[in-house]
Amino acid sequence: MRSTELVPLHAVFATDFVAILVPVTADSTMAQVAEAVAAHVEGKRVRALPFEKVVIHQGRRLPSSLTVAEAGLNPLDHVTVEYDSAEATA
Amino acid sequence: MLKREEWEGFVREVDWTYSYVDDEAVYPEWQSGTGKVPREAWLGWEEDYKVSYPEYVATQREKETAAYAVKAALQRSTAFDDLDDGWKSATKMHFGGVALVEYAAVLAELKMARFGLSGAWRNMATFGQLDELRHAQITTYFGHEFVAKDPQYDWTQKTFHTNDWVPIALRNLFDGMMLAPNVVDVAIELPLTFETGFTNLQFVALAADALESGDVNFANMISSIQTDEARHSQQGGPTLEILVEHDPVRAQWVIDKSFWGSARVFAALTGPAMDYYTPLEHRKQSYREFMEEWIIDQFIRTVQDYGLRKPWFWDEFMRGLDTWHHGLHMGLWYWRPTIWWRPKAGVSKAEREWLVDKYPNWEKLYGDKWDVIIDNVNANNLEATLPETLPWLCSTCHLPCCNATQSRDGRWRVRDRSLEYDGRTYHFCTNACRQIFWKDRDNVNHETLIDRFLDGQIQPMDLGGVLDYMGMTPDVMGDDPDYAAWTKDYVGRPVSGLARAE
Repeated sequence: MRSTELVPLHAVFATDFVAILVPVTADSTMAQVAEAVAAHVEGKRVRALPFEKVVIHQGRRLPSSLTVAEAGLNPLDHVTVEYDSAEATA
Repeated sequence: MLKREEWEGFVREVDWTYSYVDDEAVYPEWQSGTGKVPREAWLGWEEDYKVSYPEYVATQREKETAAYAVKAALQRSTAFDDLDDGWKSATKMHFGGVALVEYAAVLAELKMARFGLSGAWRNMATFGQLDELRHAQITTYFGHEFVAKDPQYDWTQKTFHTNDWVPIALRNLFDGMMLAPNVVDVAIELPLTFETGFTNLQFVALAADALESGDVNFANMISSIQTDEARHSQQGGPTLEILVEHDPVRAQWVIDKSFWGSARVFAALTGPAMDYYTPLEHRKQSYREFMEEWIIDQFIRTVQDYGLRKPWFWDEFMRGLDTWHHGLHMGLWYWRPTIWWRPKAGVSKAEREWLVDKYPNWEKLYGDKWDVIIDNVNANNLEATLPETLPWLCSTCHLPCCNATQSRDGRWRVRDRSLEYDGRTYHFCTNACRQIFWKDRDNVNHETLIDRFLDGQIQPMDLGGVLDYMGMTPDVMGDDPDYAAWTKDYVGRPVSGLARAE
């Protein structure tokens, strides 16, 4: 996978009502993926909360410094982005 | 002069024995679809209500005269200008979503009129195609009257000729239900499941809603159509009776999948119209109540009468009555530039009280998101209420994947349902959509808008390119008709966690 290759993801942000298309690049870190997904939803449909965000893929919490290529995310994969707080995930 | 009972048999049973070609040449299996049913079993096909061609023509002439007379009288009044915007949206959605589906139904009826395996059935389908042609014409004509007043009505005729995501979803469903299958499956999917199960009853309810909203013209049109549905939809019963006797597994599968597809589309179009667009004071019942009273009870009775079971997805379907159409309404509203009507949000305090009364989980699942949208509108940040990407569209129903479900720990989330097939990943809105895709995986399915976008068919690859691809123009694209109507109750409350204005 080339570092600039586009990786379109099927993404859901926290309690949002819909899955959305979010394109990222293979060299994006999970912190960047989380922000890319949140940009469409946070403060727009889901109220922004002051917590870190975490990307979850196939049940695994992915470290924020890991890149899309390193994490093994493939085009059309599903990810969820959650606030990293028990308070926010009820 | 022969008595009715002496002639009605031979005018409808017009089968004869071929001497120059064999039966397969006239009724090829891929069109006639007898499958495990012995050929001679179809000779017992009998409709309950029989009609001759002169009777048919006389009745239809009266209906047409009456419908157009009422229209002509109302054309001179100001009735249209006084209609609520929400109701007008429901009619725009109906005109665009239905006019050319009626034409697809002409083709389905013609196919049964040619390839049905009994003369009586072909006779009934001949009347059916004339019915559907009338429905396509009357719907297109009634919608056309308003084009001069509001260009969104131009989508009455235009919708199906575009690649807007709504008609793609409808074409996918109706091509699969009306145009692709053999005639036995068409009779089970269209007259039995979709017409008897859904549209016939919905048209009764829609006519009542139209009258309640003061739209006599629309009520008049829809009632005129509904009287035809009641007759030609009876092609389903005799076909199912014969199929169940010889191949109940096939009968169950065909009913199940067409019920599911119909229910998904109803949730998208009828659900928002009933629970959000219809003015509060004119609502008779919620979408859930309507489905329970008019669709579900009758459907269950029908399948049990024929010795079939409830579909395998029944629990998922029933749970969806509390979520599907609320999610779809929010999606239609948020992606409003992609639709040809003006969706009203319908979430003022009074409307929310009604929603919570009908759907106790509504505030928990949808109220929090509407609150953020409301606060953005009140903060003059409309940018934050407009889309910058696409919702993911289900590979079976082509509607947005927006059905939250509750896990054992009590959390409501939109979850992924996907599968790998032929080297790629497909995503679905529900388990049943995934199951139907898998069982029908070698059928030709339309590509979703997401598929087309990722394949590079839509250029430039941004929202402007998508709107252009859909045929959307600024004079038509949807917007909320009255933001203040549902946001003014919340002006001045403390807010936090909003997106920053760009």
